[in-house]
Parts: sequence; C-alpha cells; structure tokens
Amino acid sequence: MEGNKGNSELGKILVYGLLIMLAFAGYAKFGIPLVIPEAPPVEEKITGAMTKDQFVAMGDKIFHGKGTCTLCHSPVGGRAPVLDAVGPRSSERIKDPRYKGKAKTGEEYIRESMMEPSTYVVAGFGKPGTNDTVSPMPQINKGAIGLSDVEINAVISYLQKSGGVEVTVPLPTGAAPAAPAGGAEAAAAPKPATTAEEAFNKYGCVTCHVVPGIAEGGDMGPNLTKLAKEAGSRKPGMSGQAYIIESISTPNAYVVKGFEPDMMPSDFAEKITMSEMNLIVNALLGKK
Amino acid sequence: MKVRFMFSHVKKVLSQCSTGVYRFGAALALLLAIPALSFDYMDISQPVLKSAANAVLAQKAWANEAAPAAAPAAEAKKEEKKGPAEWAPQPPPKLEEKDYPVVKGFNSRLTVWFIAQLHLFFGAFVLAVPIFVWLIEITGVVTKDKRYDDMAHEFMKVAMTGFSLAASFGGLLSIALVVFYPQFMTYMTGIFGKVMIFYALAFFAESFFLYTYYYGWDKMSDGNSKIVHIGLGLGLNLAGVFLMMVSNSWASFMMAPSGLDDSGVFQGNVWAAINGHLWNPINIHRFVANIAYGGSLTAAYAGYKFLMAKTPQEKAHYDWMGYTSFFIAIIGLLPLPFAGYWLTKEIYDYSQQMGITLMGGAFAWLFILQAVLIGAIFLSANYYLWCCLARSNGSHRYSFMIKPIAIVIVTMFLAWLTPHTLVMSSTELTQIGGAHHPLLGKLGVMAAKNTAVNFLIVLTFLSFQIYNRSNKKALGDGFWAQNGTSVQIGLYVAGLCNILALGIYSYYLPASVRIGLSVPQVTTTLIVIVASFIMDGKIFNKSEELGETKWGNMPVRSQYALFTLTIGFTWLMGLMGYVRSAIRQHWHVYTVFRDNSPGAFTPTLPYAAAVVTVIVCVFIALVLFMFWMPMLAAKKGSSGEH
Amino acid sequence: MHFLKPIIGVFVAYLLIKIGVPFLGSLSHPGTWPVVPTAVMKMYLFFIIAGAFLASTFSDEGYNGLVGPIVDLYSNPSKATLRLCAISAVSLLGCWVSYQYVKPSFEAPVELRSVHPAPPSSANMWGKTFELQTLKNPLREDKANFAKNVEEGGIVYYKNCFYCHGDKQDGKGHFYQAFNPIPANFVDVGTIAMLTESFVFWRIGTGGPGLPGEGAPWATAMPVWHTMISEEEAWKAVMFIYEQSGNKPRVTATVAEKK
Repeated sequence: MEGNKGNSELGKILVYGLLIMLAFAGYAKFGIPLVIPEAPPVEEKITGAMTKDQFVAMGDKIFHGKGTCTLCHSPVGGRAPVLDAVGPRSSERIKDPRYKGKAKTGEEYIRESMMEPSTYVVAGFGKPGTNDTVSPMPQINKGAIGLSDVEINAVISYLQKSGGVEVTVPLPTGAAPAAPAGGAEAAAAPKPATTAEEAFNKYGCVTCHVVPGIAEGGDMGPNLTKLAKEAGSRKPGMSGQAYIIESISTPNAYVVKGFEPDMMPSDFAEKITMSEMNLIVNALLGKK
Repeated sequence: MKVRFMFSHVKKVLSQCSTGVYRFGAALALLLAIPALSFDYMDISQPVLKSAANAVLAQKAWANEAAPAAAPAAEAKKEEKKGPAEWAPQPPPKLEEKDYPVVKGFNSRLTVWFIAQLHLFFGAFVLAVPIFVWLIEITGVVTKDKRYDDMAHEFMKVAMTGFSLAASFGGLLSIALVVFYPQFMTYMTGIFGKVMIFYALAFFAESFFLYTYYYGWDKMSDGNSKIVHIGLGLGLNLAGVFLMMVSNSWASFMMAPSGLDDSGVFQGNVWAAINGHLWNPINIHRFVANIAYGGSLTAAYAGYKFLMAKTPQEKAHYDWMGYTSFFIAIIGLLPLPFAGYWLTKEIYDYSQQMGITLMGGAFAWLFILQAVLIGAIFLSANYYLWCCLARSNGSHRYSFMIKPIAIVIVTMFLAWLTPHTLVMSSTELTQIGGAHHPLLGKLGVMAAKNTAVNFLIVLTFLSFQIYNRSNKKALGDGFWAQNGTSVQIGLYVAGLCNILALGIYSYYLPASVRIGLSVPQVTTTLIVIVASFIMDGKIFNKSEELGETKWGNMPVRSQYALFTLTIGFTWLMGLMGYVRSAIRQHWHVYTVFRDNSPGAFTPTLPYAAAVVTVIVCVFIALVLFMFWMPMLAAKKGSSGEH
Repeated sequence: MHFLKPIIGVFVAYLLIKIGVPFLGSLSHPGTWPVVPTAVMKMYLFFIIAGAFLASTFSDEGYNGLVGPIVDLYSNPSKATLRLCAISAVSLLGCWVSYQYVKPSFEAPVELRSVHPAPPSSANMWGKTFELQTLKNPLREDKANFAKNVEEGGIVYYKNCFYCHGDKQDGKGHFYQAFNPIPANFVDVGTIAMLTESFVFWRIGTGGPGLPGEGAPWATAMPVWHTMISEEEAWKAVMFIYEQSGNKPRVTATVAEKK
C-alpha cells in the first residue's frame, strides 16, 4: 500500500517534470524562428588556370563567407568602416598625416590593414579607450580566419574591383605559393623545385613523356617537345597555357589520339605548387 | 616567493596549535596544499629550467668560439649522436574526414555530447554537495543544533552514489574521446599530459577524504574528533575544487587557447596553457552555478520525501531540509547573472568574432529561450518563498505585499524577455511603420536588461526577507526596533530608484560608457541586500517568536515549485553547455585545431533542445537510482530496529 | 468572486499591452500604430498569466478561492446546466483557436527584411554597366537648366510614379493599400534623405527584382523601370523627388572628393 502511494506520487512528479521539459523543448522548436547556423567554411582551392574575373569572384566569396569580414564591415552594426569605397580611398589614406605605415600604394595599404590592422585605425573605430590607436580587428592571416596570401590577394582584388578602381594584385598564376603558410605543412612538404628540369624530374614526368630540355624520356605518353606549337590549337577557344594546365590537373579532359585515357595520374593538381606549375607550363610553351 | 610565504604561514599556524588535533588538521591542510604547491612549482620550474638550458647553450657557444676549429667536428658528432628523435610538442594536425574513426552504430558527436553532459551533471552535483554539507556541519557545530548535523549527514548519504556515477561517466568520457577523436586527444595530452597525471592522482585524495569523511561521520562526532572531521571535509572540498578547475582549464583552452605560438605549437609552459583568458571566468561561473544546482537537486529530493512522508515529524524534517536546500540554491542563483555577464564580457574581450557569434549571430535566439527559462526559475523560487509564509504565525501582516512584488517581478521579466530583433508579420510591420518598434526597441538593449535583472534580484531578496521576519516581532524601544523598518523601506525605494534612474540615464550615453553603468547598478543591489540584512539583525536584536514555526505546513504545490526549479536548472545547464561548446564552431581548439569530422557543423537550437531533453531524462532516471540507493539501506536499517 | 480578481488583472495587463503600448508609441511616431508583435505578445501573456496564477495561489485561502469555484463547477450536482455551458464554452474556445491557426491566410510568411540593403558595386541598366560607387547624376552639372530638368522630372513622376508614391510623395498614392510592403515615403527622413542619388537611380532602374537577397526582392512591387523610361528621364525624376520633398541627396565621401 505504502509503496503504491509512493509510486503514484513519484509518477506524478515524473510526468510533471517531463511536461515541463517538453514545454521548454517545444518552445525552442515552435516558439522561436529557426536559425540554421552556417556550415563550416570550405577552404578555397586555387587553380592555376584562373581568370581575373574568377579571382575577383573568389575574393567576393571569401569576403562574404570564410573571411567573415561582413560580420563587422557592414552598414548594420557600425562596428567597422564600410568597405564599399576602400578601393579609391586606400590611395588617399596613405597620404593622411596620421598614417605611419609602410604602404606606398593603395593595394599595399589594404594588405597592411588586413595583416596589421592597428597600423592605421579609421577615426572612431579603435578599441574603446585607446584613442583609435589599437584596432579591434583580428589579423586575418592568422587565427580563426587564417587566410593565405593568395586568398588575401583575392579579397584585395574584390575590394578594388567593387570600389571601381583597377585591380593591381598579381593573379595566382604568378609565383604566389598555393599552400597556406602553416608552419607544419611547410616543414613537412619537400622543397619546391626551382627549375623546370627539377620539376619534371620531381614529378616523374620523364618516365612517360619526352620533355624539352631533357634528352631521355619514356614513350607511354605523348612527346611534349612540340607542344609549344600544338597546345594552342588542341581545344578550340582554349589558350595553350590553359590547355596545358588543364591537361596536368585533369588528364582525361583531352586525350591525345593514339593514347589510352586513365594512364596519367590525376592528382598532380594537389601536389604541384603554383610556382612549379608555372615553370612547367613555361618550359612546355618554350618560354624561358 | 609564494612557496616560501605559504611555508612560513603554515609554520605560524602550527606553532599556534596547542593540541595534537589542531596539528593534525594543519598537517592535512598542508597535504592538501601539495597539489597547489606543485602547481607553483610548475609555474616557476619552466623559467628556471629554461634559464638553466640557456646557460648550457651559452657555455657551448663560448666553447665553440674559443675553438673554432673544433666546431665542425663537434657538429658532425652531434649529427651522429642524434639517434631516435626526441618527442617534441607537435602542431595540431590538419585532419580530414577519414581521420575520424567510425564506430558502427554510434554517432561520435552525439555519444560524446551525451556522456560529457551526464558527467558534468553528476560532477557538478558531487562538487556542490560537499561544499554546503561542510558549511552546514560547521553551522551545526557553531549553533550546537543537532538537526544541522543530521541533515548534513543525510545530504552526504544522498550524494555518495553520485560520486561513483560521476567517476564512471568521467572514465567513459575519456574512453569515448580516445575512441572517437584520437588525434584531438593526442594533441591535448601533448599539452596537458603532466596535468592529467596530477588530475588522476587527485582522485585518490578525493576518494580518501570522501570515504573518511562519510564513514567517519558518527565516529568523529564530538569534541576534537569533530574538528578532525571538519578538516577532512575541507580536504574533500579542496580536492573537488582542484579537480573542477583542472578540467575547466581543458574546456577553456579549447575555447581560448593560450601558451601556443601562431601555428598552434605548444610553447612548453603548462601554466600558460591552463591560465587562459577564459579559465577564471569559467571557474567562477561554474562554481557558483554548481552550488545553485546542487542545492536545487537536494531540494527536489527533500520535496519528494516530503510528499511521501507519513508522519508529521517526517514532514517537518523534509520541509526543513527542502527549505535549507532551496536557500542554498538561491544563494547560488542571485550572483549567477553577474558571473554570466562577466564570462560573456571576457568572451568578447578574447575574440569579438566569438562574442558576435554568441550574442548576435545564430545563437541570439537561444538567449531568449534562456531568458524564458531563468524567468521560470525566478518565478518558481519566489513562489516557493511566498508559500513558505504558511509556516509562520505572523505572515498575515505581510501577505498584502506579495501581489505588488509579483506585479513588479513579472513586469521586469517582460522587459528582460523582449528580444532585440522582433519577429513580425508584414501586417504588423505596416502598422508599426518599420522594423524598429518605438517602445519595445528600447527594451531590447542591454541598459534595460541590466536594470531588469537587478530589480529581479532585489525583489527576490525582498521576498526572502519578508518570510524571514514573518514569524518575529521586534521588542524593545531602541532606534532600530522602532524605526528600522522605515529605514529599510527608504533604502529599498532609494535603491530601486537609483537602479531605474541609472538604467534610464544610460540611454543617453554612448555605448562604450553605457556598459560601465552596470557596475553602480550592481553595487546598489549589493548595498541594498547587505545593508537590509544587517539592519534585520539590529531590528530583531530583541524579539519574540510568534509561536513555533510550523514546519511541514506547506501545500503540495510549493513542492512542485521546487521540482520546476530543479528541472529548469538542469535543463538550462544542458542548454548552456551546448552554446558554450557551439561557439567554437568548426574548431576543436578555437582558431588552432580545425574540426573536419562529419559532426563539425553547428546544430540548430531545436535539435540541441531535443538532445538536452533526452539527456536530462536519462539523468533523472539515474538520479532516481541515486536517491533510491540510500533508501534501500535505510529500509534494512529500520527493519532491523523493529 | 475571489477568482475574478486575477482574471481581471490579466485582462487589464492584456489591454495595456494591446492598446497602451501602441498608443504610447503612436505619440512618438504619429501616424503609426506600433502594436506588440504576436510572437512577443504570446511570451508576455504566458508570463502574465503564470504570474497572476502564482501571486493568487501562494496561500491556501487564495488557492481555494481561485480553484474552489472551478472544482465546484465541475463536481457540484446542482450545477449541471452551468457545467455544460462552461464545457461548451471551453471547447468552442479551443475550436476557435485551432481555426485561427489552420484557416487559409494571405499573410506573407514572417521574414526579416532589410529595407535599404547594401547596393551591389555595379548594376546593368539600359544595356550598360553602371559603377554605383562612383556614379553621379550628370544633370546636376547643368546648373542652367536645373529648373527645367526638375519640371520635366515632375512630368515623368506624374506619368509613372505618383499612382503609388502619391501626390504628396508620402507613399500614399491611389494604390498604396494594395501593396505590402507599402510604397516608400519620400518625405520621411529614413528614405531618400539618407541615400545617395545613385542609390535611388539604381532602385528605379532595377526595381524590386534588382534587390539583393536580404532585401526580399520577391516582396516588393516596384517595377524594373529601365525597360520603360529612358536613363535621362530617370535622372530627372530623381531630381524632382528630392526637390519636391525638400530633401538633399546624401553625398558620400568618395563622391565629394571627386568633385
């Protein structure tokens, strides 16, 4: 009898507790507008064959996504200056008497502001109590945002383009390193090749191809000594440079007559650095 | 320096102790200080070791300069000697999805979430209970009231099963982490390895004190042995707090890593890694919350026993126990909002990005839910206090005040609940004439919230104060006995006016100055509470009781208020655990070690609420088991007596 | 009649929020009726009812006074008719609430809409690309024909715009009640007064569909005017609405520098 009384009392308490929790959870589900947090950002892949517009578009994407710039640089919160006109303004800024940094051009000013935000703090946007000498902005090449040099260039190109001035940053086909400057990766990866010959040997190109400048080579793949003339006409509407880059990164995109597809490894795009790719492409095109 | 000071202090204490018992107690304290000392040692050892190493290097350099010819040879030798590479701190690895083991049938993230939360629930409970058990025991010794001692003993009995459950879940958690996130654990042990060993060792101290404290309770019940017992209780609490702070340091390191270089490589100073930006704010917040939570859990236990009680004596005992537990919970609850504000402020200071994610981004609405929950907690707490008036004989003198208090409390809640961004339909948008509401918009900002929360705390204290004096009548014709209450009324009115005025004034200030005004508001609240508490002592210096307090004369619904308090607290703890963890977003260690597992995404609020509900249900089932254990023992005991 | 007190209290609180808040709000913003949004209202009411219940049941007398009549109503054999009425009333109330939830409605789903979202860097209108950051009104240079241009802008306005934006430019033209959101009120300080001419020009040129996502391009009825009027007419209309509403276009730092 007593046990029954206790059990029914306990049952009541448990039902009451459950109802309360369901009310909480129900409020979370039905009483509050559903906000879906953004998915983790995907690291941008930079390929060698990138046009200026693509580069600017990538900068746009980083600016509004991974770079988290709009968290503060938006007209809503007023936490940081709106950057719609930073392109033209940047070249004015370096003439400002308050400016003490090293930048000589607008582009350098923007890059400096991103990597060392406290060099020049726009009036009214400094940390409270520092009289606009310390910026609350994080260094965007470090920490949670951690943009690589190429990504920073992309963002600058976007800011310049949207500000209506000429894009001055180098495109990634230059000698810019593709890998982000993580201490670990730089230490672990083998040294990038410095000459075309080194690059050809490093990736074993000569096992299958005969390449310009190296006498011996295999015949599993097409002979590449005459590629300089043929590359531009292999695929209609595609430049020789773009064709070579495509053939290295996705070999099956165009298979030369008389050779089998799937013979060439398809992971070169992940291994070859930008500078190496540049060396290889220039050598194959006969440029020095 | 610190070490030396501590030693001299301990010596002084020892020399002052005449009896051996005191000596024993002091020796115990010294024993307990060992972990603390070893921390100090770690702190100082790094620079010492470093400077020693530098000295050796300098000597070598000097030797090289003196004999340049020998240098290449020496270098060559070094190369030869290298042998197997020594272990060195590693940078966090860049993981991919394939680096995370998959155990069929288990969702890695959910499993760890479940176990960690259950471990935290039990850990928080068994950390909190010894703290107030110890304080109640001392109260019993000071007041010579045997009831306190019995109650403390009973609390301890309830918590005993909790210790083993907390430890079991702790073991399960570490195994789950190794199974599901091996690389992450490798990285963490690479930094905290030494501390983890100390952590594990501290469990021996914890168990030693726990068992001697609990099983020695009846043996060491009077005279000097009681003091030894209190010493054991102190040891138990110190060990517990040490354990909490160490494990907090891992959580705060994951949120705000310190002691690393830019690429996440550990710099070798463990103390720097522990003493991160958020460590102390989290320590304080958790410590205070644990006390409130532990109190509410024992209050629920007492409430349940109260409802089951068969005799008036039993009823009276459990009513009294429930009230004491409730009182402890409220003591923890009142400072909790301030501890929370401090933590949030430190999060903003550490990383503005993290702060905006927390308060302005996807989680902004979570804080509306939090406000609702805290509203439920505050209301049920006040309701319990109002119900308590039924125990007193003179309560009719004050019951007229309850309704005004309720009205002010509800009004302040509504201000506190009002979201910053209003969700409105397009019709409402048209009627309002824009997205900004001229009145409610003003309630959405921090100035209003601070004012409201200070009001709530002051009024909750007022409810308590009313209950506290409801069974007393001041005697004598001193100033305080005659006019004390009028002074108190004046104090309350002035205090509340000041809080309100500061709140309104802060609207006219720039945002950076505005935040600073919360300090005088909090100070006002504290002054009102402390001053009127002291005045109560003076007013009732000479007083008479209006008949005996009718313990046990409580309605059933008041006990349900206690259950609401407990469930609200537990659920809220689970929810805030989710958000604390979720603001790291897709990072294992924020900004340093990226989480690339399939569970790296941030779950939505309804999903988290569902998970928390299930966890709390499992927890309640285990708590029933925990409460049932001592009853099982008690049954056998009572049947033996008959 | 003890149990009526908390009910009256809740009702008074409800009226205060339902009418008092909009009334006070309308004093500071004449012409609007700033109601408390339903989502907030529900939260408020829940806590007001809970508070009223708790404040009147903490003592046994209060509890019996509030709950006693209800228990009596449901258990007293002599009150069968009243009981039946009460049960029907509660059921009907439930039906009404359910019906309110499920009945079809033309109300757009609740969304957070930004009224003046950040403009894109460039916009395609009249077959060419305008760089909005540096764009200026070419007709402003022509000081001599200013009055003439404004007058011609007025003709454009009255031929095209005034049906919605109104004779007084207050957003209350003939059709305004048919639209949701309502047409922009140019006299208000919160619209064209805080925008540049190039922004207004862009809003005319690309209309509702030209808005970015946060501006909810699907919601507004503003047409894409660059397919219907000429570039010059658009600039003239811009000049007219500024002149007529007594506002000055905002000049951004870049534009000012370039002058």
